[in-house]
Amino acid sequence: MEILIIVVFILGYTAIALEHPIKVNKTASAILTGVICWTLFVLADPSASVVESEAFQNFTKHLALEKGIDNFSKFTSSELYKEFVIHSLAEHLSEIAQILFFLMGAMTIVELVDAHHGFRFITDRINTKNPKFLMWIICIVAFFLSAVLDNLTTTIVMVSLVRKLIPDRNMRLLFIGMIVISANAGGAWTPIGDVTTTMLWIGGQITSMNIIQALFIPSLACMIAPLILLSFTLRGNMGEMKSHSSTPEHTVGGGKLMLFLGVAVLVSVPIFKTTTHLPPYVGMLLGLGVLWVVSELIHPDLDETVKKNYTAAGALSRIDVPSVLFFLGILLAVGALESMQVLHHFALTLDTAIGNHSIIISLIGVLSAIVDNVPLVAASMGMYSMDVFPPNHFIWEYLAYCAGTGGSILIIGSAAGVAAMGMEKIDFIWYVKKISLLALLGYGVGAVVYLLLN
Amino acid sequence: MELLIVAVFVVGYILIALEHPIHINKTATALLTGVLCWTLFAFSDPTASLLSSQHFIDFLEKLKSSAPNFAALTSSEIHREFVVESLAEHLSEISQILFFLMGAMTIVELVDAHHGFKFITDRITTKNAKTLLWIVCGVTFILSAILDNLTTTIVMVSLIRKIIPNKDMRLFFAGMIIVAANAGGAWSPIGDVTTTMLWIGGQITAVGIVKSLIIPSIVCMIVPLIYLSFTMKGELGEETKVKVEEPSSGYGKLMLFLGVAALISVPIFKTVTHLPPYLGMMLGLGVLWVASELINPNVDDSKKKNYTAAHALTRIDMPSVLFFLGILLAVGALQSMTTLHNFAEFLNHTLGDNRIIITLIGILSAIVDNVPLVAASMGMYDMSVYPPDDMIWEYLAYCAGTGGSLLVIGSAAGVAAMGMVKIDFIWYIKKITLLAAIGYFAGAAAYLIQYSLLH
Repeated sequence: MEILIIVVFILGYTAIALEHPIKVNKTASAILTGVICWTLFVLADPSASVVESEAFQNFTKHLALEKGIDNFSKFTSSELYKEFVIHSLAEHLSEIAQILFFLMGAMTIVELVDAHHGFRFITDRINTKNPKFLMWIICIVAFFLSAVLDNLTTTIVMVSLVRKLIPDRNMRLLFIGMIVISANAGGAWTPIGDVTTTMLWIGGQITSMNIIQALFIPSLACMIAPLILLSFTLRGNMGEMKSHSSTPEHTVGGGKLMLFLGVAVLVSVPIFKTTTHLPPYVGMLLGLGVLWVVSELIHPDLDETVKKNYTAAGALSRIDVPSVLFFLGILLAVGALESMQVLHHFALTLDTAIGNHSIIISLIGVLSAIVDNVPLVAASMGMYSMDVFPPNHFIWEYLAYCAGTGGSILIIGSAAGVAAMGMEKIDFIWYVKKISLLALLGYGVGAVVYLLLN
Repeated sequence: MELLIVAVFVVGYILIALEHPIHINKTATALLTGVLCWTLFAFSDPTASLLSSQHFIDFLEKLKSSAPNFAALTSSEIHREFVVESLAEHLSEISQILFFLMGAMTIVELVDAHHGFKFITDRITTKNAKTLLWIVCGVTFILSAILDNLTTTIVMVSLIRKIIPNKDMRLFFAGMIIVAANAGGAWSPIGDVTTTMLWIGGQITAVGIVKSLIIPSIVCMIVPLIYLSFTMKGELGEETKVKVEEPSSGYGKLMLFLGVAALISVPIFKTVTHLPPYLGMMLGLGVLWVASELINPNVDDSKKKNYTAAHALTRIDMPSVLFFLGILLAVGALQSMTTLHNFAEFLNHTLGDNRIIITLIGILSAIVDNVPLVAASMGMYDMSVYPPDDMIWEYLAYCAGTGGSLLVIGSAAGVAAMGMVKIDFIWYIKKITLLAAIGYFAGAAAYLIQYSLLH
C-alpha cells in the first residue's frame, strides 16, 4: 500500500507539472492527490514503520491518558491505527490552515491596497527611458517589495507596471523574467516574504531577525549576478508608446492611506507574534480586520455598488482562491507521506547516500524548479527533526534560500512565475531559452555567497 | 480579564447584529472579535475554573510526558502553551467546517454555471396557485436537504420571479420558500451549516439525524402549508413577457447529476473511510473540476473559463467563510476559558430544562446568527455527558435550523430572498412570521413526542 501511495503522489505531481499540455487545472490534480493519499493511508493495513514510529507511540500514550486504561484496552489494533490516522490528519490540517489563512489575509490586504491604486505611489516615481537603468530600478523595487509582500502579489504589481512602461513585447518579457527572479530572491530573506520562508518561520525552524541577517546578502547576490550580466548584453529599446495614456479610469481617494496602512499591517505581523506568542495568521487576520473597517469608513459618500469594489469584500472576490486550494491539496498529500514515515526514510536514504547537507539542500532547490517548492519544504521539515537541528541551524537557513530562489529556474517553478505566465502568455520554452540560464547563475552565485559567509 | 473578554465578545456580537445601520461589514467585526478574544486570553492570568477543568488537567498530563523540561516551566509559560495548543485545536476543527463549506459552495456554483438547475425548474409549469405552492415548497425542501439553504432559495426564488407575475402572491411564495428551505436543511447532515457543524463535530451521525429529524422537519413545513391551503386567496397573474432562451453549455444535466452525486456521497465517504467530511467534499470538488475541464473541449479558452471551477471559485462567498472563521475563533476562546461551560450550568440552574433552553436558542437564532449559537452550545455541553445522537444535539439541530424562519433576517435563506424580491421586514412579520412560528412549534412538538415514544 505504501508503494501505491507513492505512485499516486508521483502521478499527481506529474499531472501538476504537465498542467498545460493535459489541460487539467493543477488545483484539481492537487486536491485529488491529497484526498486519495489520505484515503489509501486510512484504508491500508498498519505498516511496521508507522506503528514503530515515535509519533504513533506518543499518540497511544496520550490516548491512554485521555480515555483511561480501561477504555483504552478496548481498542483493537486496527481501530487504534484508524484513530491515529485521523488524529494525524487533524494535526496537519491545523498547520496547513495556519499557512492558508495567512496567505488569504495577505492577498486580501494587497488587493485592497491595489484597488485604491495605492501602488501608484511607488510606480509613478519611475520615469526613465533607458532600459538598462530601468531594469535595475524595477528589479530592486521588486526585490524589496517582495520582502514585505508575497511574491505573487509583487509579481502582479510589477508586471502590470511594466505593461504600462514598455510597449515592446520582447523587451517586456525579458523584464518580466527578471521580475520573477527578483521577486523570488527578495522573498527568501524575510519571514513574511514568501510561502516557504513563512512556513519555516511558522514551524519555528527560523526566527525573524536571524533569517534577515543570514540571507540578505546571498539573496541580493542571487538577483545582482544576472543583472550585471544583462547590463553588458542587453540590446534593444523599449519601443514607442502608441498613445500617451492619461489614465482616465475612475479613482478614489485614500490610496496613500491604504498603502501606508497595508505596509504597516504586514510589517507588524512578526511583532504581533513576538508579543503574544500567537501564530502569525492571527496577526494577519487582525490587520485584515483593521484595514477592512478603514476601507468601509473612508468612502462614506460612495453608493453601495461602487463602494463594494473598494472594500475588503470586493478585494476578497479577486484573490486567487484556486491557488489557496492548490496549497491545501498539495500540503495534505505531503502530510500523508510524512505521517506514513516515507519522507523520514527518504531523508535517511539521502543522508546516507550523499551525506553532505549542503549538497542535499542545493539539490532540493534545483528540484523546486520542477516541482512546487511548498511540498518540498514541507517534506524537508518532516525529514529533519528539530531535536537534531535546532532553530536557526545552518540547514534551515540554507533551505529557506534554496527553496525560495531555486524556483526561478523554470517558469512553473514558483508562484511568481506561474502568475507572470498567466498574465503575459509566456511560453515555457521561451523562458527556458532566455531566462533559465540567468536564474541558474543567480541561484549558484547566491548559494556560494551563503556558504562562504558561513 | 475573563469579564473583559466576555465584554469584547458581546460588543462584537452587537456590532455584527447592527451591521447595516453602522455600515461595517460583519466579517471585519467578526475577525477583530476573534483575534481580540484570543489576544486577551493569551495575556490573561488563568482563572480558577480553567485550572480545575478536565481539559486543562489532560493538557498538563500530556505536557508532562512530552516536554522534557516540564519542571522548569513557570505557570505563565504553561498558560501560554495551553493557549497556543487550544488555538491550534480549534483552528483544526474550524478549518474543517470552512473547507467543507468552500467545497460545497464551489460545487453548487459550478452546477449553476452550467445552468444545471434549469432541469428541475423547467419542469414546474402548473397554473393553479395552491398546487404550485405545494410543488414549490416540496422541491425547495428536497433541494435544500442536498444543497445549502442559500443556493436553494436563490434557485427557487428566481424560478417564481419568472412564473408568478402578481407581486403580492410572489412575496408570499418567497416567504414560504424560506420556511421550506430552512426546514429542509435541518434534517440532513449536508443540508445546512449548523447541522453540518454538529455532524463534523461528531455530535450527531448522518443516519441518526436523518431518522430522527425528517418527520419533525416535514411537519414544520407542512403545517403552515395545510393552513394556507384553506386560507390562501388570489391569482398568479397573467404572464406578460415571452420567455427568453438563455445560452447554455449543453452539459447542465451532466453537471447537475455529478454535483448531486458528489454531495450525497460525502456522508458515504465518511462512513467508509472514517475520514472527516471535508475530505469527501474535496474529493467531489476535484472530480467535478476535472470533469468541467474535460467537457467542452472545443470551446475556446476565454469562453471555457466561465465553466471551470477556477471561475466558480471567484464567485463563492468568501466574506462569509472569513466571517465564520472570526466568529468561531471567538466562540472557541470562550470555550477554552470554560466560560461557556459555566454559562450552561447557570442556565441549567435558572431554567432547569435543556429542552426549554434549546427551544429558546432556536427562537434567538431568528435575531442573531445561528452559527455562533450552535458553536457556543457545542462548547456548553460536554460530549462525555451528552454522547453522539443524544436528544439535545438532535433537538438543537432542529431548532437552530428552523428557528431562523421566524424573521426575514433570521437565516441566510431569508436574507437572500429579501435581496431578490424586496421583502420588507415588517411585511414578513405580518404575513409569514405567524406561519413560521406555527411550523416551528408543531415540528418541535413532533420531535418531542416522537422522542418520548421511542425512548
